[in-house]
Amino acid sequence: MELKITDLTKQFKEVAAVDGVSCTMTGGVYGLLGVNGAGKTTLMRMLCTLNTPTSGQITWDGQDIFSMAEAYRRILGYLPQEFGYYPDFTVEDYLLYIASIKGLRPVVAKRRTAELIRQVGLSKASGRKMKKLSGGMKRRAGIAQAMLNDPQILILDEPTAGLDPTERIRFRNLISELSEERIVLLSTHIVSDVEYIAKEILLMKDGRFVCRGTADEMIASMPEKVWSLTVPKKDVEAYLRRYKVSNVKAVPNGAELRILSAEPPAAARSDAGRGPAPAEIQSWQAMAGSVNRPVVAENGSVTTGAAVIRPQTAQLQETTLEDVFLYHFGERSGDGNGEV
Amino acid sequence: MVKYEIRKVFARKGGVIALLIMLVLTAYTCWFATNSSSEWVNENGDTERGYHAMVKKREAQRAWSGILDEEKIRRVIEENLRITSTPEYNSKDVRLSNIAFGWGQGIHEIRGLLNHYFAEDFQTSDYYRANSLTPDMAGDFYPNRVKLLKEFLADETNGSYYRFSDAEKDWMIRQYEALETPFYVDYMQGWDNVLTYYPTISMILIMVLGYLMAGIFSNEFQWKSDSIFFASTYGRNSAIRAKLAAGFLIVTAIYWAAILVYSLTVLGYLGFYGASCPLQASNRWKSFYNLTNAQAYLIVILGGYVGCVFIAFLTMLVSAWSRSTVLGVMTPIIVIFLPNFIQNMSFDAVIIDKILALLPARLLELNMELVYFDLFDFGGIVTGALPVVIALYVILSAALPPVIYREYRRKEIM
Repeated sequence: MELKITDLTKQFKEVAAVDGVSCTMTGGVYGLLGVNGAGKTTLMRMLCTLNTPTSGQITWDGQDIFSMAEAYRRILGYLPQEFGYYPDFTVEDYLLYIASIKGLRPVVAKRRTAELIRQVGLSKASGRKMKKLSGGMKRRAGIAQAMLNDPQILILDEPTAGLDPTERIRFRNLISELSEERIVLLSTHIVSDVEYIAKEILLMKDGRFVCRGTADEMIASMPEKVWSLTVPKKDVEAYLRRYKVSNVKAVPNGAELRILSAEPPAAARSDAGRGPAPAEIQSWQAMAGSVNRPVVAENGSVTTGAAVIRPQTAQLQETTLEDVFLYHFGERSGDGNGEV
Repeated sequence: MVKYEIRKVFARKGGVIALLIMLVLTAYTCWFATNSSSEWVNENGDTERGYHAMVKKREAQRAWSGILDEEKIRRVIEENLRITSTPEYNSKDVRLSNIAFGWGQGIHEIRGLLNHYFAEDFQTSDYYRANSLTPDMAGDFYPNRVKLLKEFLADETNGSYYRFSDAEKDWMIRQYEALETPFYVDYMQGWDNVLTYYPTISMILIMVLGYLMAGIFSNEFQWKSDSIFFASTYGRNSAIRAKLAAGFLIVTAIYWAAILVYSLTVLGYLGFYGASCPLQASNRWKSFYNLTNAQAYLIVILGGYVGCVFIAFLTMLVSAWSRSTVLGVMTPIIVIFLPNFIQNMSFDAVIIDKILALLPARLLELNMELVYFDLFDFGGIVTGALPVVIALYVILSAALPPVIYREYRRKEIM
């Protein structure tokens, strides 16, 4: 059971949506992480034979999947990002139809449909029309259709998009259950979707894999450290311009920032234009829960208000996968549009 | 797979509504086709309408049914002369005139044939021509039809002289001479009407079928179910063939169901009498196709079926190629109105006629083609357009599914 991608490229006119990626997948969950437009969907579509590569090759146990055609699709399950369905079909009819085009014999199709409806928790809604289902129920119907043929390769493109937290957890557990004895490639831009269940994570950016490995390996490989620092509200913007900030949490009279930096972050003043001048930088210590403590004025001294923040050093924090994600995909707010 | 593809078509509200509209329009056409010939002028000169009126007319005309030989023609001419010489017929009083008309209802159809067969020339129609005939002219009835054609084709002052080649002229004359005479006449209003109103039914059918077919392929894209469809085991082979099969079955079932309802309603109401009468025993007297009414109707509905299948496949091809249901729905409309557009083009009339005869829209109104002088000369083998257009679209209908299949199976998801 080996799905191998070799130097795969997909070019759309001038743009390389996937740019020479290579990897090998055996059993287990593979998390494909990346921001929107990273090339995840294009890669998955090629893996599903929906798009043909401009160059490179995808093989299943050594055979080209496009040459295998029907034989390859027989072992494939796919839940696309935009899960389309037949709005006037009931859940049961929908699954029976998909079973028929997946080549399941009617008797087997009926049995598998009943099993999967139960497994994804849609027993009460099996007679309901697809268009009447909630978003979460549709996604569950989607995973059921992908599993109908008990695929050896299960490709899930952003399966948790639009789901509420409970549904997401439920979905994650379901995927984890399904991952035994098959390859599951799960694309998402939500780190927690894959953090705990993925055997290997592939970080994709601009059509390339920028980082890969287990969650621990990826965390260990990050060259920067994570710092926690509480700053006055008016200085937050300056910090965002200067550093990659993975989290901003409001605290009384200030904000607690989670900063990615090789060195402890220095203070940044809001009146220093687009970025603080070196001479004006001071260090601060996080003062979480600092109500009734003094706050620091623009000139760095203690100033008005019920709370005061004194200049101290930032605290080193434990690195998470989200920090790694930010390291690779995040931008300082001064770098442009700054999607983080 | 085919079962689910059919269910996809009718699971939509639009599909069911389209069927209901078709049912209503078919019922209306049936009503119109039967009601338009259900009049009887009674002995008081009053017009009766409805089923009983139609039965009276039918009985009166059936009294004159039989071989239309010289003797019967003479008797019809005599009866017509008797009626036209009465004071009632010549009266200015409408009621009296109607009473006289009522006397002639039994011979009305044969009298109409006398007007045609004894016309002044091939292109002229004179309702009163029969009134000027004498019984001794009865023997000229059949030869006169051939004579009219020969004169028409030999007349250098009309366009037909140049329109047809000598081979085509000879072929038409031979066809006219080959008509078996004397032929059998009977009340044939049922066959006449079922042929006349056929294009209305076929137009309704193709619009509805076009609508139903338009989404079979393109809806996968519009519903965004295309990814799962194409990523499935049979998504690029059997599942596409199932779509084609579903389309074909829907067209076949709906077409023949509607035609069966239409034909049985009209013929059941007006009567199946006259099935074995030749087309030339009606106002289709000019036709060079020596067919009986039943044979002609069978060809018309078979040709219409071929036309519906072809246009349905064409609709599927357009929707598969464009991924657009709207373009698919528009396809039958364009096919139907294309002849009107071509007619207005300033090309040679002969070429235009030949093009029009070969357009798929013609298959939906083959009852007209029965009387059109559209001919094709294949290296000296002359034939009418009817077999050519049917054969052409049988071949094209068979050729389209593989094209649709190839077009759809190579689709990429963008």
